[in-house]
Amino acid sequence: MIGYVILSALFFCIGLFGIVVRRNVISLFFSLELLLNSANVLFVGFSKVHGNLYGEIFVFFVLAVAAAEAAVGLAIVVALYRLRGSVNTEDYSSLRW
Amino acid sequence: MNEVFFYLFGFLSVVLVLLAVTQRNVIRGGVFLLGSFVSLGAVYFASGAEFIGIVQVIVYGGAIIVLYLFALMTMDLKKVREEPLSLGFVSLGGFLSGIFFLLIVYGLANLGRVPKVEISGAKELASPLFYKFLLPFEVISVLLLVATIGAVAVGRREK
Repeated sequence: MIGYVILSALFFCIGLFGIVVRRNVISLFFSLELLLNSANVLFVGFSKVHGNLYGEIFVFFVLAVAAAEAAVGLAIVVALYRLRGSVNTEDYSSLRW
Repeated sequence: MNEVFFYLFGFLSVVLVLLAVTQRNVIRGGVFLLGSFVSLGAVYFASGAEFIGIVQVIVYGGAIIVLYLFALMTMDLKKVREEPLSLGFVSLGGFLSGIFFLLIVYGLANLGRVPKVEISGAKELASPLFYKFLLPFEVISVLLLVATIGAVAVGRREK
């Protein structure tokens, strides 16, 4: 079990680090996928520990939500790129307080 | 044998993820992330979750990352500015991720239960997926339809 926990924690931490540090929107999406994957690793681990398959079913649902998020997010990014000509988050500052 | 493959591919996927996050070139980062997701699928295989491993490789590797790379191809990457690497954000990110690492490992380390390696392929997953979780399954399919229509509507070029 400790292997699953450490793998999931490493994925989550690297993803969090990427979200805080990177300024490119596509890189932010990559980091977001890492966060979802860390949850998936832990789901599979708990499913194996408990001996039932409900965790793996939930991984399936998380995958579908990740695919939907990727499609909608990329459409928004492409529209923003057409509007601003940039994928850097510092250029999207017109709503900044 | 399973343990060896689990740790080998887990280590490989973590290394590739580190490369993907710290890589300045976005395309290279995407390719590293693709390798990382494929080796994560191998980790699932080593732990017996065969169907999840296959779906991980097909959906994450074959669909999501390739979608990102295709969207990157429509952009002018020469114009992508160099990201300024400020010390404040790096230290904040390192601090936050260290805290979360300690929290997750401390909170879950002493469960002390050994996972059983059972093969769970499509046959074993089908019965709970299509009986007990039939309604979430249908809701997910509607969500995918909504996401497809929304992506087309948002990404359409204004006439």
